Amino acid sequence: MSEVELAAIAKSFGETEVIPPLDLRVPDGEFCVFVGPSGCGKSTLLRMIAGLEEPSAGQVRIGGRDVTREDPSDRGLAMVFQSYALYPHMTVAQNMEFGLEMAGMPREARRAEVEKAARLLKLDRFLDRKPRALSGGQRQRVAIGRAIVRQPGVFLFDEPLSNLDAELRVEMRLELARIHRQVGATMIYVTHDQVEAMTMADRIVVLREGRIEQQGPPERLYADPDTLFVAGFLGAPRMNLTPCAVTGCEGGRALVDVPALGITGLAVPLRDPAAPPPRSAILGLRPEAFAPAGQGRAATLKAEVVENTGAARYLYTATDRAIALVAEIPRGQSIGTGETLEVGVAAEDCLLFASEGPRL
Amino acid sequence: MRRAPAWSVALWGGVAVIAGLVLTPFWFVVTGSIKAPQEIIARVPTVIPESFTLQHYDKLLAASDYAGYLVNSLIVATASTALTLALAIPAGYAFFRLQFRGRGALYRTILLAYAFPSIVVLVPLFAMFARVGLVDTRAALVLVNAAFALPFAIWMLRAFFAQIPPEIEEAARLDGGPPLTVLRRILLPLIAPGIGAVAIFAFVTAWTEYVFASVLILSDARRPLPVGFAGIIGQYQVDWGLLLAGASLAILPVVLLFAAIGRWFVAGLTEGAVK
Repeated sequence: MSEVELAAIAKSFGETEVIPPLDLRVPDGEFCVFVGPSGCGKSTLLRMIAGLEEPSAGQVRIGGRDVTREDPSDRGLAMVFQSYALYPHMTVAQNMEFGLEMAGMPREARRAEVEKAARLLKLDRFLDRKPRALSGGQRQRVAIGRAIVRQPGVFLFDEPLSNLDAELRVEMRLELARIHRQVGATMIYVTHDQVEAMTMADRIVVLREGRIEQQGPPERLYADPDTLFVAGFLGAPRMNLTPCAVTGCEGGRALVDVPALGITGLAVPLRDPAAPPPRSAILGLRPEAFAPAGQGRAATLKAEVVENTGAARYLYTATDRAIALVAEIPRGQSIGTGETLEVGVAAEDCLLFASEGPRL
Repeated sequence: MRRAPAWSVALWGGVAVIAGLVLTPFWFVVTGSIKAPQEIIARVPTVIPESFTLQHYDKLLAASDYAGYLVNSLIVATASTALTLALAIPAGYAFFRLQFRGRGALYRTILLAYAFPSIVVLVPLFAMFARVGLVDTRAALVLVNAAFALPFAIWMLRAFFAQIPPEIEEAARLDGGPPLTVLRRILLPLIAPGIGAVAIFAFVTAWTEYVFASVLILSDARRPLPVGFAGIIGQYQVDWGLLLAGASLAILPVVLLFAAIGRWFVAGLTEGAVK
């Protein structure tokens, strides 16, 4: 049982409150990803779970046991650092063995565990090498191996892939997912990369200024965000968020005029039909959620910039990202700069937010 | 990186000048020690020795207490180095790792030890050592040498500790290493160049120390090399051959130490640890 529970945990550095009291429960065996912009407190939260940072208030419980005042090594967890933090004067095998040695495991048993982990991570050929003779990806695998051999109940990852190149990152992402399936331990993973969060997590916890903005399965956060912040943070290119005017309510839907799209009276579903929406709001629509021309309400977008990512092409209506609308160009349709694209807007795909942030 | 030829010439020229400045006196000392007495005092000094004799060494080792002084110096310098390291390593680590009130002030204050000329502390020190019965012991020299080497040693080691990425220590803590084990198994190997530099500094300081040794040691049998040797070379008339042979031998332990520790001075010990 390695459920991780944070109860009213808080952290201040001097006068500065980094994390206001926060509650969170990560069930046993879950792959939980903390995501948020830099400075949102996600690493501090992770370091408090690890015991490397002392909370100013609150409790950390692992497997039901209060470990708030316990040493990092007594918490039954292992951590993989962004910078790998390998012991440079030791070989790969010695690096992985050190924790087991500290735990008092006999030499033979240690060797067996290290070899098992090395096979799992395809490191068996490098056991006698020093870290400096390894590539970045291999070093990161050693760091993961060092965590695995100790068979902890909880793995903590602090942006472990951010120093790797794009291809290696994808590879390691898959590898981590496989390791999670194989060892079945609780994993808490910190990243600012929302693609990592979306692809690996059982559950994403979006943090902002030390608070949990929203948590839930990736699909739900993506399709049904609670706030403007979550809507804008998950997804690349990010969701179109454009001001709109609410002109009335009708059958649980708000009627909105969207100047940027030239649409009036769009009947957008409300989350809480009982609560009357404010007069001005923000309309959210994902770039891939534009319907083909002829479906829903018609709109015309003029391409200022066309961006080709290979897998998809996107049209931007302005070079200033703050005001630009972005739409995925349907396959088979060719659009050049300055040309226009006819699209449809389905009210069901639109989300409505109050300008202060909460979903309407 | 390719350097321009002119730049290379300038660099090599600079190295040659510095090497010449440092090595020329050594050359004359070492070659002088094997020259016949007449050649040593010849009006025009010879760069390449024209005569060869071991008579100065013979006289030095057979007919003087030089060997005894050498042993005394070796004992004192080695013990001083060991004591300096034994105290400076934990102190440097504490200054680097522990948070306590007045840390910065204390850290700067220890350098005050160098503000006093040794002659100023000599008299009170002698009185103190006399009271505890340490006058005329090698232990007195070890204590004094370590005390004067420590502030610099602590500064130096703290700087080396500070270069170790904090994650390495955190990883070791998560791996369950008790603080002293982490220090010994993880951190010390990473600051080996610093330890080597401090060891050489402490050894050379103790090896060449004269003022305290000349006052605190009374009996001839306990004199270290600089003091004892000063007595050998003659009070009224300098025996140059003897002096040069003694100086040549005195350099030897330091050269050996450099040779032994020099290989610790490799750059990039933490390479591969992070990033």
